[in-house]
Amino acid sequence: MPLKFLRAWLLVGCQSFGGGVATLALLHRMAVEQEEWLSEEEFTRDWALSQAAPGINLLALTILIGHRVAGANGILLSLVGLLLPTTAITVVLTASYAHIRHSPVVEAALKGILPATVGLGLLTSWQMIRPLLKESHAEGRGSGAFSLLLLAGCALLSFLRFPVVYILLFAAVLGAFYRWKVQPRKGTTGESPS
Amino acid sequence: MNSGIFFWLLLKGSLLSTGGFGNLPLLHQELLDRHWATERDFAESLTLGQVTPGPNGLWVISLGYLVDGWRGSLLALLAITLPPLLVLLLYRFYRCIQGHAAVDGFMRGLSLAVIGTFLIAMLHLFRGVGVTPQSLLILAGSLLLGSVRRLPVILLLGVAAVTGIVWK
Repeated sequence: MPLKFLRAWLLVGCQSFGGGVATLALLHRMAVEQEEWLSEEEFTRDWALSQAAPGINLLALTILIGHRVAGANGILLSLVGLLLPTTAITVVLTASYAHIRHSPVVEAALKGILPATVGLGLLTSWQMIRPLLKESHAEGRGSGAFSLLLLAGCALLSFLRFPVVYILLFAAVLGAFYRWKVQPRKGTTGESPS
Repeated sequence: MNSGIFFWLLLKGSLLSTGGFGNLPLLHQELLDRHWATERDFAESLTLGQVTPGPNGLWVISLGYLVDGWRGSLLALLAITLPPLLVLLLYRFYRCIQGHAAVDGFMRGLSLAVIGTFLIAMLHLFRGVGVTPQSLLILAGSLLLGSVRRLPVILLLGVAAVTGIVWK
């Protein structure tokens, strides 16, 4: 059982390119449909919790599922399975890259690659912004405007070189205060699993 | 360069993030201010993170390597593995905090701030690459291809690399 468990996570780790929706689908198929480690409801709830946890969501989900299946050992095995091969590949690739990073061909290729990476970063931001703004807009004009203002304000403060830690904490506290005290209640929204 | 402080920065970035790239704005600011990393280190490790398998958040392992070699990548791995463990605490207290407006608001505020600061980090990164007609065109092209065609990331970066080599 431990070996099979480890192998399943190895497969997920090595197949998860680009993160996000594709990896989640992969994990769902393995954990719920094939291995039946947890039910559909449990998976949905675990994913909601993972999104609220700090750091990489996929790792939090991995930890929760590992915990469900075999406690502390499950956590260890699933993390090792997911992270060991992927980290090894990343480090080896980076190490080999570090040797050639100043060669003329690589420098030339980077002139193309780096702007494209920035483009991909912008696309990722857009994908993250959209649901947040949609959700707050659905709660009313005030909430939508508040979210937009918060986004723009944080960008401005960061542009003015305020320390990012304080921007993040300040925005989080402001967000909590607004949702809790300012915005009139309209029933619960957000990622409560259904 | 002090490994202890480096680890603390990595950990702080991960603790205050809600996803794979969320630690970028904080690290970008702190490491550049200390001259421990360059714009190019960031851009390159982001690219490497897109190319390798695994969650997107592993980009920081590349960054760790470029900043501090094997030790740096190990510190980075540790720093991204520890914070998600807090999900077990959330799991424990699930019933108490579920759907509480303040919790939802906290998460949303944090996410918005991460994106806002992330956009500025991207701006700096782009300026570090050099704002030329060529780089602007490639940026626009990647936005277009990435959003319209849904090309696999590796293919898109490959096309960009060839463009960089051919178009001097």
